[in-house]
Amino acid sequence: MPIKSPFETDVAKAGHGEVILDLLPPSIPTLTTLTYKYPLKLLARTPGFVSRTSAQTCPSRPVHLYLLTYGGGLLPGDHIDVSITLKERTRMVVSTPQGSTKIFKTEPTASVKGQRGTPAHIATDMSRQMLDVRIDNEAAICYLPDPAVPFKDSRYEQVQTFTVDGTAPDSKRGSLCVLDWVTEGRSSRGETWDFHFWKGKNEVWSDDGSGSKKLLLRDSIILDDECDDAEQDADDSHPNLIRERTHPHGIVGTLILYGPVYENLASFILHRFTTQPRIGARNWSTSVSPAKSATESYSSTTNTNVTWTAARVRAGFTLVKFGAADFEAAKSWLGDLLREEGSVVREFGEEALICL
Amino acid sequence: MNIKNNTEDLEQEIADLESRLHNAKAQLASSPRSAKASSLSREPNGIPPSIPMHALLLLSDSALPLGSFAYSSGLESYLAHNKPLPRSVTSIASFRRFLKLSIASLASTSLPYVLNAYRYPETLETLDNDLDASTPCVVVQRASLAQGRALLGVWERAFRGSYGLYTSSGSSMANGAGTAAKAVKALEDFLDALKSCFDHVDELGPKGHFPPLWGVVCSIMGMDLHQTAYVFMLNHAKAVLSAAVRASVMGPYQAQAILASKGLQDMILQRIEREWDTNVEDAGQVVPPLDLWVGRHELLYSRIFNS
Repeated sequence: MPIKSPFETDVAKAGHGEVILDLLPPSIPTLTTLTYKYPLKLLARTPGFVSRTSAQTCPSRPVHLYLLTYGGGLLPGDHIDVSITLKERTRMVVSTPQGSTKIFKTEPTASVKGQRGTPAHIATDMSRQMLDVRIDNEAAICYLPDPAVPFKDSRYEQVQTFTVDGTAPDSKRGSLCVLDWVTEGRSSRGETWDFHFWKGKNEVWSDDGSGSKKLLLRDSIILDDECDDAEQDADDSHPNLIRERTHPHGIVGTLILYGPVYENLASFILHRFTTQPRIGARNWSTSVSPAKSATESYSSTTNTNVTWTAARVRAGFTLVKFGAADFEAAKSWLGDLLREEGSVVREFGEEALICL
Repeated sequence: MNIKNNTEDLEQEIADLESRLHNAKAQLASSPRSAKASSLSREPNGIPPSIPMHALLLLSDSALPLGSFAYSSGLESYLAHNKPLPRSVTSIASFRRFLKLSIASLASTSLPYVLNAYRYPETLETLDNDLDASTPCVVVQRASLAQGRALLGVWERAFRGSYGLYTSSGSSMANGAGTAAKAVKALEDFLDALKSCFDHVDELGPKGHFPPLWGVVCSIMGMDLHQTAYVFMLNHAKAVLSAAVRASVMGPYQAQAILASKGLQDMILQRIEREWDTNVEDAGQVVPPLDLWVGRHELLYSRIFNS
């Protein structure tokens, strides 16, 4: 039996972290719990920013939480498990100040051919990040991290679960803004979707207090090259399924908006989407040649290099999905959109957009 | 003496082989994949049961009034977003790419709901809610709801008379009467819940998405699980190909040629195999741009399809 380390605490397991943010009277945001353990590091800071023009009456000061990992990335087998609780009327900005979350290579292992269910031995060397956030009434989270960058041959799974109180009236509900995006890898080294597996799942559950939960929203992207490692080593001509399925994009992502704090932003984005130029529209008023107008209408849909869609799905959620040629294009498009509307900066301060 | 020894040896060997066969059969029956094998093992008595075959023909008929012809599942938008095609790519090649992506995407997002509704009909309402929560845009939602409600209509007005009663008499071949009766009950309960929901608007009430309802209806009608999945996928392929013909991507004979091809069959079988044991919690989009194309269908200047 190994000797127990005297520095070991039973508060946190490896990679686990727990944060509870509460509001002490009169209106002082306080972290009542902040624990973490290697390879995870959590830092919190409360800048003096106070929102002056907010969608909510007397908003509290936002607390910034930085998610850090040693080396700014995840090695095979690293499991990060963070649980955050936002008590009533608190506000939190979560960001990744180390830049993109790098996901390092997984050593080849045999997998069961042709099956999606993950065998146990694969599960152990896959990097995994779990985030579980409980948002009480009138609390708000703004989570706009850098994208995940899965390196060649990596395997990664990310599950982010948010729980809100389903019984609250619309104006008192918790609010959330979550961005989840993934790039094709280190494009500077010629990687284009060369990883084995990337899965990003975001769920929002409603909890009515009596213990019964209902799924409000699930957004799940699975990028799987579906090939046996052993087989791939023998045969490099295996077509890259992920590249085929993401073409022509070099980055894809999802933005989820919910709750009163983001109501304006959601309406703004939806309006921007529905007033985009029609695809294939012709300008009948001028006498341009048909061939020319066809190319013009085509370029007008692609000139920003970002293809996106927005929809108000059910239960007051707004879902924005986008794909772009590269990280810079997506970043500037999204950053411009959020800055132009301005409510994220108004509610949480300029620093909330640090990654954009 | 020698001969006697030989016969004893042979008898011994026969007994040994028989016990191994018996063990293997028992193992097969208890394995989770046995449902798939049952379609093969039903042949021995010579006469395949006629009822699943009859249901199979009904459910795979393109005249089944589900209105699937109104949806192109993103094809129309895909064509608009990939125009003009580069010189090196023919429109057929571009379409084949779309069909492959569309089938992979349908299998990863919807097939787990079909399979799970068939296996556990009592969870129909949860499956319906979870699928609604997983539907990323209104265009997809509209298409799925319209077809799901059409299927409920067909059940109510047409199939219920023959299949709702017949299961209670206990003559279901593939399922055993208990499972089918349970599926009928689940479907009727769901129908009631859906109707009572029309009165007061509950945004999170039952919706009537197509994939789980398909699984339950097929289970009631005695189809086996593999057939249920296969017809679900094939009907989708047929709808996309029919849309391609009407969008003038190809002629009707070319469409039939693709439909008849070994490539399409293998693709469907491979996708079913892959998602056979997938939990609905692990269902998800494997073709992210498809969500973009489908969502942007609303931005098309002119449209001939509803999705």
